[in-house]
Amino acid sequence: MNTYDRLAHILTGEYNLPTEKLLPEARLEDLGVGSLAVMELLFKIEDEFGIRVPTDQTNLATVGDLVNYVDSLIASQISDAASHRAGT
Amino acid sequence: MRRVAITGIGVISPLGNTPEDLLSSLANSRSGIRRLEGEEYRRLANPIAAPAIFDASSVADAPKLRMMDRATQFALTAARRAMDQAGLSQGITDPSRTGVFLGTGMGGASSTDDSYRTLYGEQSDRLKPFSVLLAMNNAAASWIGMEYGITGPNLTFTSACASSAVAIGEAALRIRSGQTDLMLAGGTEAPLSLGPMKAWEAMRTIATEDPAASCKPFSRNRNGLVLAEGAAIVVLEERQAAMARGADILGEISGYGLSTDMAHLTHPSVDGQARAMRLALASARMDPTSIDYINAHGTGTLANDPVETAAIKQVFGGHTSRLQVSSTKSMHGHLLGAAGALEFAISVLSMKAGMVPPTAHLQHPDPECDLDYVANHARWNSKIEAVMSNSFAFGGTSAVLIAVH
Repeated sequence: MNTYDRLAHILTGEYNLPTEKLLPEARLEDLGVGSLAVMELLFKIEDEFGIRVPTDQTNLATVGDLVNYVDSLIASQISDAASHRAGT
Repeated sequence: MRRVAITGIGVISPLGNTPEDLLSSLANSRSGIRRLEGEEYRRLANPIAAPAIFDASSVADAPKLRMMDRATQFALTAARRAMDQAGLSQGITDPSRTGVFLGTGMGGASSTDDSYRTLYGEQSDRLKPFSVLLAMNNAAASWIGMEYGITGPNLTFTSACASSAVAIGEAALRIRSGQTDLMLAGGTEAPLSLGPMKAWEAMRTIATEDPAASCKPFSRNRNGLVLAEGAAIVVLEERQAAMARGADILGEISGYGLSTDMAHLTHPSVDGQARAMRLALASARMDPTSIDYINAHGTGTLANDPVETAAIKQVFGGHTSRLQVSSTKSMHGHLLGAAGALEFAISVLSMKAGMVPPTAHLQHPDPECDLDYVANHARWNSKIEAVMSNSFAFGGTSAVLIAVH
């Protein structure tokens, strides 16, 4: 499963949202997932993807933003881990 | 003077979630108190309570529901039912002259308890981002206000076990004084998670287990209260306006009295309670002989029942022997901040039905409690013209409401 599929799985499971509404351009707020709900979602994303989400605020407006954000965290944390290993 | 009509009543209670079910349970002396199953309740010395049978799934869609504590879910559902009965669910005429006044003793106590479990029990720093919004005391009133677009005063009163009686009384005063025309008023409480229950247990005020018969107000073998959960909301309207729109008028709030003991944090005062009853009578411009039924605070604790009995005698004098007094907490338990609203609703519904609800489990009266407590069996075909509902609180607040047809 790619990042979108895994996120869609969380969103449908936790928020009873139909998959067909989870288009990349769909606004999270319009889906009933407001800014605080996104914060809660990030805990689940940490568990699902095995990544650490920074505590600074990010502007995640759409499903696509969320996918890109998670992908960028995965990429940076893999590269961090690789450089950490390389350095030891 | 502007008069205050009651045009809707919504309840979520251990004795049913409609006025009809609630009244039927009371009329049949059916208790909602039972043993709590579940692993965590084994840590309670007496794992008894009066839970509401409540399905939260229909309250809101999943994202919204996650933002509502159980106390909010109760209140919002009770408010909708009250507004439906009042014929106002399609909208209100003037949102700016409408308000929401609720009472709660512990607010989102179970959400706070969940946060502590996460933080201290699981040693996790991942608290729900909604934790503050779930637990804040005014959450329920805010959700109700948003549901109907109400832009007048939105207040939450907290005075322990008198909270919702105060909310209803203060709401009635707003209408009487002309500041508002329509009010949703009542209270909600959902304290049946382990933390709040252990806190009450630590006070040594909880009854020992005797399943359904655990709460025995006015009995010599009474030994405490039983915690309960639920909500009750009434719709109050300026009477002329309610009549003009053809609303069904369920009763009228004619009096409200409020006093404070300031003698002791927990031990009630005869004079404080008596003063609140006298103030309510004065506010209703009624003589004590006009009252037919009192829904007593009647917690079933050693401290309350003789004090309340003495206060009633002080106020009603020679009329006391003709009064019917009952504690319905014997069946629905103690809803804390929501108790006053539920018992006021019961008083109004009983008056309308001509039924006096009993004090259940009263087999061995305390010699110090010698009123007519309508022991064990409801009375039908009673002519009830005026009812009084007493709510007395830790912290010394005494709130008394009077309703008439």
